Amino acid sequence: MRPPARPGREKSALRAHAGLVALLGALAAGAAAHAATLVISVQTADGRPLPGVVVTAHALDAPAHKPAPIKAVMDQVNRAFEPDLLVIPVGSTVTFPNSDSVSHQIYSFSPAKRFQLPLYRGTPYPPVHFDQAGIVTLGCNIHDEMVGYLMVTDAPYYGRTSAVGAWSADVARGRYRIAIWHPRMRESEEDLERELTVGEADHAELTLRLTKSLTPAPLADRRHSWDY
Amino acid sequence: MRRAARLVPLAWLALGAIARADGWELDLDGRLVSSDAYPSYTQGGISGVRFSEDQSGLRLGRARLALTESLGELWTVHLDASAWGDYDRVAAGLTEAFLQFRPYPFAGYRLRVKAGAFYPPVSLENRSPGWESPYTLSYSAIDSWLAIELRTIGVEAQLDWLGTRQGHDFDLGATAGVFGWNDGAGGFIAGDGFMLTDRQTPLGGRVGLPNDPVLMNFEPFRELDGRAGVYGGLELRWLDRVVIRALRYDNRADPTAIDYATNAIAWETSFDSVGLRAESADGWTAIAQGLKGRTAIAPGGFYLSWPFKAAYALVARQLGKHMLSLRYDRFEVDTSIAEGDGSQTGHAWTAAYSFTPDAHWRFTLEWLQVASNSYFRSDAFGLPALATETQLQLAVRYALGSAVH
Repeated sequence: MRPPARPGREKSALRAHAGLVALLGALAAGAAAHAATLVISVQTADGRPLPGVVVTAHALDAPAHKPAPIKAVMDQVNRAFEPDLLVIPVGSTVTFPNSDSVSHQIYSFSPAKRFQLPLYRGTPYPPVHFDQAGIVTLGCNIHDEMVGYLMVTDAPYYGRTSAVGAWSADVARGRYRIAIWHPRMRESEEDLERELTVGEADHAELTLRLTKSLTPAPLADRRHSWDY
Repeated sequence: MRRAARLVPLAWLALGAIARADGWELDLDGRLVSSDAYPSYTQGGISGVRFSEDQSGLRLGRARLALTESLGELWTVHLDASAWGDYDRVAAGLTEAFLQFRPYPFAGYRLRVKAGAFYPPVSLENRSPGWESPYTLSYSAIDSWLAIELRTIGVEAQLDWLGTRQGHDFDLGATAGVFGWNDGAGGFIAGDGFMLTDRQTPLGGRVGLPNDPVLMNFEPFRELDGRAGVYGGLELRWLDRVVIRALRYDNRADPTAIDYATNAIAWETSFDSVGLRAESADGWTAIAQGLKGRTAIAPGGFYLSWPFKAAYALVARQLGKHMLSLRYDRFEVDTSIAEGDGSQTGHAWTAAYSFTPDAHWRFTLEWLQVASNSYFRSDAFGLPALATETQLQLAVRYALGSAVH
């Protein structure tokens, strides 16, 4: 994941060094690709920036590099997954440490990874390996209200939109398939897929606007929310 | 002294069991009561509220100890014991005691199986530990009746389709139960009618009928005819915002069955219930529920029946640690007896304010007024059939436990 870009500042910096860039460009001519900044902005159906959206960019031309697997941690704190969403490359492992004083029984029946993992108090458990791309919805068999998400991706570039609803990455020039996903999004991933060419310009931008309203966020104070 | 000494190791064992249990909770609920009501069934009378005028003052609301223990990965045992400070056969009793089988959800479905004694999935307001309401102290007329007379003593299976875990907005659930030891359910409806209380009859506990000696003779949790009862329910959930529940219950009792040793009669009771609860992100909760049924006996082949119905609407607003709740109840018991034995009509208003500074403490002030017209109040007690009873309660509740923090 890379920090969000600040396009305005970069633009002026690049303009100042236009000559240098042209020279470097000439020197690099013939090289397969060189970096450009890709900026993806996501807006809600009513036009407000949407933070926390998962963005993936798949290279359509050259066989792109595969993202390196990572070792991620998804904790259980106050009967909630912390964080409640993780994006990890295919082949990564995730540890579920359980910081609560109560036991949890983590499970997923998502096609991308089916597993069951009891987490008793104070007992460490081996990390879970995620070797197939897709969305993995996590639950707890004891606490029905707990829900968490893992997005396992084989995209070379991925991340989540910032507080201002934007994600950016320095990518090689070429064609990309851009996809976005959010747990509260009603559209399917395919509905909002776009192709984008990162061409000669040093900058490529795309704004994606949801077509449907988000599903309501889970209720915050869940102290009483269980049923007989 | 010697007896007390013998109790010490027992208490020590009990404390050890609590300390080792996976989950435990201890609740103490004290009340300051001001009431102008007639004596209720716990005093051999008939009333619309739990505490009578002569019970005004300091009362025990409830003392509760609950234990949950895992047996391996997929089984748990839950025991819920309470004392209510009323005269009963035993000072404390179990309101629920069951074994639960809880396999991991598979292919989008979740199965839960319970065996033992527990509440069927009817209530929409009683959703806190101990089958209590987070909204008011006194339960609705519907839930008060369930607390007094109803318990599944048997097996229940619930199958849920977890749509919200698969990108949909809703979940669906179906429940089926088979039970015994509830042939007494319905007797209270025909005797006292509906009331608003928060006293739950413990397993093996007794309920008084008008003119009976205090808590004598009437046990709702008895098996008299050897016929199992059944219920089936459906539930639809939209995200975590809206729940719709429907249940059909039939204890399939043989109304001619009588236990001559105790004169206990089997009450053939069936009902349909449907309800909806909606919650908003800004703290509003709205609940509406209706229940319609019938109870009957046929001693010596002489068939007598009491159709009944009750409904309520509740609105609550939570603002941080504060909550305001308002509920309106309506209830009616009809009778096939020409003279009107057991008939009752009434309605009630409940207004409650609660302040929950932390997970341990809760302070609640509740005003409850029940207006009812009851045949037995005049026929059995010589009191005016029409009465308006008002009960004001201040409750201080302290909770302690492994999951209370």
